[in-house]
Amino acid sequence: MNPVAGVPPVVTEETEPFWSAAAEGRLVVEGCTACGAESFPPRGICRQCRSRATEPVEITSQGTVYSFTVNHQRWVPDLEVPFAIVLVEFPGHPGVRVVGRLRGCPPEDAAIGMPVDVGFEPGPGGFAIPSFVASGTPS
Amino acid sequence: MSTALFERRAVISGIGQSAIGRRVDRSGFQLTLDAIEAAVADAGLTLDDIDGMAMFPGGGAANLPGYANGNLYEIQDALRITTTWRQGLVEGMSLPFYGPAQAVATGQARHVVIWRSVKEGSAARRAGGRPAYGAAKPAAEGPMAWLLPLGMLSPVCHVAPYMTRYMHEFGVTREQLAWLPVTQRAHAALNPDAVYRTPLTVEDYLGARMISTPISLYDCDVPADGATAIVVSAAETAPGLRAPVRIEAMAGVVEGRPSWEQWEDMGRVGHGAARAMWARTDLRQSDVDAAQLYDGFSIEAVWWLEAMGFCGVGEAGAFLEGGKRIALDGELPLNTWGGQLSGGRLHAGFGHTAEAVRQLRGEAGDRQVPGCEVVAVTNVGGFEAGAALLTRW
Repeated sequence: MNPVAGVPPVVTEETEPFWSAAAEGRLVVEGCTACGAESFPPRGICRQCRSRATEPVEITSQGTVYSFTVNHQRWVPDLEVPFAIVLVEFPGHPGVRVVGRLRGCPPEDAAIGMPVDVGFEPGPGGFAIPSFVASGTPS
Repeated sequence: MSTALFERRAVISGIGQSAIGRRVDRSGFQLTLDAIEAAVADAGLTLDDIDGMAMFPGGGAANLPGYANGNLYEIQDALRITTTWRQGLVEGMSLPFYGPAQAVATGQARHVVIWRSVKEGSAARRAGGRPAYGAAKPAAEGPMAWLLPLGMLSPVCHVAPYMTRYMHEFGVTREQLAWLPVTQRAHAALNPDAVYRTPLTVEDYLGARMISTPISLYDCDVPADGATAIVVSAAETAPGLRAPVRIEAMAGVVEGRPSWEQWEDMGRVGHGAARAMWARTDLRQSDVDAAQLYDGFSIEAVWWLEAMGFCGVGEAGAFLEGGKRIALDGELPLNTWGGQLSGGRLHAGFGHTAEAVRQLRGEAGDRQVPGCEVVAVTNVGGFEAGAALLTRW
């Protein structure tokens, strides 16, 4: 299988739960056991109350596109273009915005406010990267 | 003159640039030396007067090919300078002269030179196009760990969602925004050092290809080779300087989340820095004779028009339409050198600062704004925002 073009992430102690869950197709963010707030990206500290007592929390609900871009430029030779990138927020999960690819519709159909489901796709270096699915499409 | 504000105890005393072009056949190190020597001479000083040094980026952090040149240690060694103040470990300053102004205002140095040297034009030619992340480092660290693995291998992709959101929120159109790069190109025609000088029309702009929507070809700055050096001196040395320029007010504010994809309100950028800057001066928007607003992408200058209060939030489209207000004879001449869009990606506010100084000294040649006494300068945007007013001595 051809490797996916791009640059893989450096995994840190704080981000390891995210990337492990991504490999299983699950989106986990940082939950605070002290105040209940959620933060992203995970940094081992609650962005609301600064408690260090955090734990991975899974988000399974539908997200909403806050903004997007459709990339047309082949930045490296093997990069398949065009593709849409969406910035997704989740009703009921303030403090969380996750950026990922968009699939399940033509890239030009990306729109602010569109609903998307959580998903992942193969990324560079064997990592699974966020890849949201346009809602209404089988994932 | 009040010296309670630290910036009033500093002046910009010299600016110097190397040859600038799409591709200059000279090493980044030599370009740096050229710019520093020119800036020191421009100030009416000698290299032996320099006792402070700084560069952008600090630490030799190479994130894109051609990005960092003129290592601080090596340049100091080459010039045989003794420093009482140095700042080589700072990436992402609010404005180039911010740290140096602090140094001279606190008496830690008398004359500081700071430089920014790029060879991105040559790097782009070697790469067969604009360089992308990944060539310099094989894996993405820090905030880039969330962006590069998705294939967002250029700052174009990181900034584009801001333009998407802004246009969506305020109904601003590409036809309106086109006037910014088009008018700046007309200014570049009068700047012999600009990289792009041939006329650009709205039709050219609209017909050009998309890079990452809605950022199209002419929304992007042009990679260039060139070094810019700025000398900042203690205000008390002004009588012995050739042509100092005053720093009326300056501020750098990192507010909100300092990560491209996490910025909370992508329709508004730079407002905190602008607010902090205006609070340090009695001057107002109507006093500004010209504006050098950071334009790595055209949308960044649009952010700054609104953040600085030259027009209301969401009103930049109407402000720009027709190109009259931002022309050299308009109410707010904008990026009179062509900006980074046409003048060249000299980066991090260095080109904007150099042009502001030239305008205030009456040394801007064919593109001189008559009676220029107050110039606004802004840097980058988002979480690296910096804003300043420079005034004639």
